[in-house]
Amino acid sequence: MTAVAVARYLLSDAWRSQRVIIPVVLQIAVLAVLFGGDPGPLPTPWAASILALYPVSAWLALTLANTEDPVQRSVTVAAAGGPGPVAAGTLLVAVAGDLLLTLLSVAWPLVATHYTVPPGVLVGALLAHLAAGLTGTAVGFLCARPLVQRIGWSLLIALVVVIATAVQPWLPPVGSSVSAIEAGGHPGSLLVPVLVALVLAVVATAVSSTVARRG
Amino acid sequence: MLRAEGLHKRYRHGPPVLAGVDLALEPGAPVVLAGANGSGKSTLLRILAGCSAPTSGRVLGRPRVVGYLPDRFPAQLRMPADVYLRHLAQIRGVGVDTGLLETLGFTGRRGEPMARLSKGNAQKVGLAQALGCGAGLVVLDEPWAGLDVDAAEVLVELLTGVDAALLVTDHTGRAARIPGARHLALESGVVSERHSRSLGVSESAARSPEAGAAGASAGAGERAARSPGRSESAVRSAETAPIPAVRVVVLRCADPAGLAAALGVVGRVDGHRLVLDVAGSDVDGLLLAALQRGGSVESVR
Repeated sequence: MTAVAVARYLLSDAWRSQRVIIPVVLQIAVLAVLFGGDPGPLPTPWAASILALYPVSAWLALTLANTEDPVQRSVTVAAAGGPGPVAAGTLLVAVAGDLLLTLLSVAWPLVATHYTVPPGVLVGALLAHLAAGLTGTAVGFLCARPLVQRIGWSLLIALVVVIATAVQPWLPPVGSSVSAIEAGGHPGSLLVPVLVALVLAVVATAVSSTVARRG
Repeated sequence: MLRAEGLHKRYRHGPPVLAGVDLALEPGAPVVLAGANGSGKSTLLRILAGCSAPTSGRVLGRPRVVGYLPDRFPAQLRMPADVYLRHLAQIRGVGVDTGLLETLGFTGRRGEPMARLSKGNAQKVGLAQALGCGAGLVVLDEPWAGLDVDAAEVLVELLTGVDAALLVTDHTGRAARIPGARHLALESGVVSERHSRSLGVSESAARSPEAGAAGASAGAGERAARSPGRSESAVRSAETAPIPAVRVVVLRCADPAGLAAALGVVGRVDGHRLVLDVAGSDVDGLLLAALQRGGSVESVR
């Protein structure tokens, strides 16, 4: 319950800072351009929105993790009873953001274009976007405070990691998700990427919490 | 009761900040911690409040709800004061004490982002979140910083009434007016009693075997002099504290039992006399503290 209260607090703070709006707007811009004309039959065009969601969710997680100033963070940590619930609350907000952007990215072409997909492929597209979003969350957390203090380094490291990992078609979770979508988007082929991405997000949260405790 | 045992802290690439801090905090026995700038007070407070872990050593018995005010409470919060206090109360799982801001003389606008508040008003919000949550442990780092005279007076009264375990650092001297407070100093990474070492706080140096015998004679006297809350820590140190050379100090005053309680020491009461066994190195500090509390010195042997 503490993590939920922390999540609500962080959401309120992040909303007031307005910095989380930039990555969300960026994803919307990508979707508008991508699905604006005739993107071709689904699910292949989703490969591009999945690739866009990866850095966008990393940016979102980085922003969320850095929303609080370090001293403000120490007050929150003392109130929550340790860095664990605060890290968990940050994860909750980031995952909520991933889900929101996933739904938006999958729904956009179904509304804006005349192409349709069978329910199985729809589930596959949702899983693939979610895998990219959760992986981005993991990358964002590992590039944010308390692991990386300076925002310049955070952006540089996140950019390198995202570019290096997104373009390997065999590499789970993002590369393999993109390949699976291009190969037809069967949900069965996307279960492993989603699970790997979920584990990555949880592990990144735990690492962040452990480093915060040591600080 | 909160106990810190053998706390060591060393940041990366730095010298040790804490080098074996033992500390016991209990409700009704406020502790005021002194120390030079950069002596590690804030680090110790952060560890006790649960914000960071010691490199080695442990903190036992930390209550579920902790009120913590950091040194330099951030003045750049985007939330209004009321919203911030409500969120922090929810994180702690307690109700909001909306009256505390008024008690402290908060003059800012409650619906306005805290970044627009003056330093003093922001500090009052920091105090309100730490003191208004019914915490079992309250840790305040320089709480008087930035407060006006009226609010500073109110804070002394508020801290006097705190029934939680309380640890305060202070450079303004106002903490000296918290009645019954123990005054400790952090120096070279260890905490020591400022006027007497015969309390629950001692350096984690090697315990000398004769300390037990010396302590036993101190403990053999009338124990009515000390308050119940202090008994455990006093007994613990009486049994274990290293006492290099024991001096017998005889103090005179109208209320020897009260004086012993005020000094936080164990001694024999003999009419208007208070007889104490004190470590040689602590005699000066103890005499000074006794004189400040209305005692007079009859003899030191």
